[in-house]
Amino acid sequence: MTAAPGAAERTRPDLPPVEVEHVSVRFGAITALSDVSFTVEPGTIHAIIGPNGAGKSTMFNVLSGVYKAAEGQVRFGDARLDQMRPFQIAGIGVARAFQNIALSGTQSVAENLMLGRHHLTKAGFIAAGLRLPRATREGKRHGERVAEIAEFLELGDKLHTPVGVLSYGDQKRVEVARALCTEPRLLLLDEPVAGMNAEETSRMAEAILEIRSALGISVVLVEHDMGMVMSLADRVTVLDFGRRIADGTPAEVQADPEVIRAYLGSGDDISPSETADAAAPGDHPSETPGMHS
Amino acid sequence: MSETTAPPAQGPARNVDRPAVAAAPRRSWLRPLLLVVALVVMLALPLYVEEFWLRTGFAVFGAIVGAIGLNLLVGTTGQLSLAHAFFLAVGAISYVFVSGESGGIGLADLSGLGWPPLIGMIAGVLLAGLAGLIFSPIAARLRGIYLGVASLGLVFIGQHVLNSWTSVTGGFNGRSAPEFSLFGFTFGNTDPDLFVLGVPFREAERLWYLGLVLALAAYLFARNLLRSRPGRALQTLRDSEVAASVMGVNVQGYKARVFLVSSMYAGLAGVMYALSIGSVAPESFGLEVSILYLAMIVLGGLGSVGGAALGALFVTALPLIFQRYADVVPLVGGPGEGGLAAGEAARYLFGLAIILVVLFQPSGLAGLAARFRRKGRDPGGVRPTGHSSAATSSSTSNVPSDRPAQGSTT
Amino acid sequence: MTQFLSLLLNGISLGAIYALIALGFVIIFKASEVVSFTHGSLLLLGAYSIARLSEPLGFFLGAVVGVAITALAALAIERLIINRLRGAPVISLAIVTIGVDIILLTELIRRIGSDILNVPHPWGGGSFRIGDVGISQNRLIATIVAGVLIALFFAAFKYSSWGVSMRASAEDGETAALMGIRLGRVSALAWVVAGALAGVAALFLVGSPTPGVSPTVYTVALRAFPAAILGGLDSTGGALVGGLLIGMAESFAAGYQDQLLFLGRGFGDVVPYIVMIAVLLVRPSGLFGTKELTRV
Repeated sequence: MTAAPGAAERTRPDLPPVEVEHVSVRFGAITALSDVSFTVEPGTIHAIIGPNGAGKSTMFNVLSGVYKAAEGQVRFGDARLDQMRPFQIAGIGVARAFQNIALSGTQSVAENLMLGRHHLTKAGFIAAGLRLPRATREGKRHGERVAEIAEFLELGDKLHTPVGVLSYGDQKRVEVARALCTEPRLLLLDEPVAGMNAEETSRMAEAILEIRSALGISVVLVEHDMGMVMSLADRVTVLDFGRRIADGTPAEVQADPEVIRAYLGSGDDISPSETADAAAPGDHPSETPGMHS
Repeated sequence: MSETTAPPAQGPARNVDRPAVAAAPRRSWLRPLLLVVALVVMLALPLYVEEFWLRTGFAVFGAIVGAIGLNLLVGTTGQLSLAHAFFLAVGAISYVFVSGESGGIGLADLSGLGWPPLIGMIAGVLLAGLAGLIFSPIAARLRGIYLGVASLGLVFIGQHVLNSWTSVTGGFNGRSAPEFSLFGFTFGNTDPDLFVLGVPFREAERLWYLGLVLALAAYLFARNLLRSRPGRALQTLRDSEVAASVMGVNVQGYKARVFLVSSMYAGLAGVMYALSIGSVAPESFGLEVSILYLAMIVLGGLGSVGGAALGALFVTALPLIFQRYADVVPLVGGPGEGGLAAGEAARYLFGLAIILVVLFQPSGLAGLAARFRRKGRDPGGVRPTGHSSAATSSSTSNVPSDRPAQGSTT
Repeated sequence: MTQFLSLLLNGISLGAIYALIALGFVIIFKASEVVSFTHGSLLLLGAYSIARLSEPLGFFLGAVVGVAITALAALAIERLIINRLRGAPVISLAIVTIGVDIILLTELIRRIGSDILNVPHPWGGGSFRIGDVGISQNRLIATIVAGVLIALFFAAFKYSSWGVSMRASAEDGETAALMGIRLGRVSALAWVVAGALAGVAALFLVGSPTPGVSPTVYTVALRAFPAAILGGLDSTGGALVGGLLIGMAESFAAGYQDQLLFLGRGFGDVVPYIVMIAVLLVRPSGLFGTKELTRV
């Protein structure tokens, strides 16, 4: 499998494509997704867009195993994601950041991030309760890595703050950081900049590009901010009423009459907005935080 | 999965000198000092305090163990359980059966193994764990609130089984609990006679130390657990099962395991209860016991290990103190004197306290204590804005809902 | 065969009473997301009020006022406590109802003491027979009244504006609120209805063959909880089916207890819980409860 244009210079060698084939999801009489197919090439940033209610989050829930597909398959290398439970999917390197922040508000940033290390660590009830040396060592070693990732997402000074008191933008970054802490091969980001201001949005966009190129992983992105999608994504899949109506490069999708019709009907705007221009890669390469060692 | 999967070279940011996250922020020296003082006081107490208080103390230690166990399940993991009394019963009765002697009391023929009390205590813990394990497939699959009602069933079924199984339990009359002993040293009044600084150390004094050690061990184990990998997983699944699962936590596995651990804590608390009362009957482990334990952890502060201990102290000691000082406490009368019985007065208070805590102080006594501490140190310091530590903070009120009706749309 | 029919009939009548209680339990859950552990003591309150009031007021007026007291008590709980906790975690809500239960139950038990209060049902303790198949008149009337009430309830639930708003708010509270449904009102009404249903259930539960009002009525009321759970906490139809199932299971276990003696005396009392656990093992959301869409 060759990497798509725009993919990271150094895609992880163990990174297969994600192949979504003819997936349908139903809730009772409602069909949330019908016969959706697309492929996420290794090392690309792949956006899923569509008007409200198009089924984007449902698709994410299928990819992460939370919803069961009524029909179709989702393959990630040899693994059949549609047949696995979410924690098993996490175990093979698929991480997800939630749209609605799903952090433990009473726990500190560090503790929330350490949860990302769950599948990489082993300490069980007995080892942890008795503070066996191996549990302590393990916690310490992974704590260091967590601190690095927090630093990268500009959370270094908030490690011991309870998440509940952080600003919204910070909480969104904790979400992404926690997903990164699982050392994913495939990163699912559900509206990572929703509700952020222009400056936060552009910093997040840079971070996403940096993540992709430094780690060589694939990123699947659900996003409303059209400018951000168009400037970041290598490939875009457009959903409308649970169906795939377009799939291609940002330029192709933007020119697609059916996409334009869907967006006109919904009142959303398909053309890039101001904020997104600011987020375009290459605008502030020197400011990329913590990436160059 | 190996621990070495963390690829240092692949990381976005290498060589960043950072203190390990696992280390909490710097604490003041005051806290350890206070702990040492408290410990010394606890150790010296039997030299100065009369038997009533030591016996109450041992009952409190037992309750602390049980409450910590329940809090792991309810407070930390968000799984409501009313079955705690049942697991206490299994622990207590296993102890009297394994370490008690065979023989007849009145009409009942009792069987017992007559094994050393230490074995009996361990058996109590393990058998309670086994009972928990048998129920855990249900506990693991049910959402917190369904578990609340389902566990109600365990109390009634358990009572029925224990009442019917007279040869082991003594039925309605119960049976006496053998004295505890450890490698030949009995925790009774004599054998050997023991004096420390001229004070006779009899059963009450000896049990005090036993209770202190067990409660401390239970406390430390739970605290360590909460501050580490399994504890984080449990707290996250309380806030959102979906998020925990997506982050790699085997939610059902963890719910089953915490249920097991909680029932083992209850088993130990049951053994301690048997030692404290000197006898056990299935009747003593009714639904009201489960509810009292729930009261302990709610009053103490859901999810807080220290809170559970505080709550256990409050709920266990209060009725005993009311009873003893019936003539001083307003509204409370002794038996036959009119006024409220001590137990009743305490129950009104617990009921009211539960309501007030949930309404106004969801983090319980532990939260209150934390607030005082903060006042002393940094006024206006950070305070998580959760409605209740039992569930979520404001930030997680719109998690990828466990009721996914609204999650089904984009 | 006669015994079988007899037990079946008694089981259905007991089940009808359980269904009334379970129905209240379910609508409270649907309207305010509260699992009300107060329901047992509410029922005892109803029984106690009816017993105390039917002497001065006469049976019928006493019963009506007793039911009203139960409904008002439920309303008070909702207004004073539950309403202030809108949006709180389900588990906190359940715990607060346990707090209320402790107070109410302690007070009632203190008042009742070791007495058994008698409720002077005008139909007395007689029984009604068709051939050899018999049922106490009290239970027969209970079945009829419960049947009528349940039918009325389902009609109201389906057609009245209250029923519609309640179903809407159970479906999606936020949207319902945006559509102008007043969640507080829906919830308050649900508690009133649930309280009244518990009061009616109490009226019949303390009649023949039960000797009268004693604290054990509380334990009997608790057996309606499994009925609600096994039917599915958010399913009104489930409450009905669950109530009947539990009633029949209990009746048969009690009726054949000589054959079941190896399971211990009084096995019938725990059968509801065994049935519940068996059902939950297979269907974690009960028979008709909304299934979880998410896998974890």
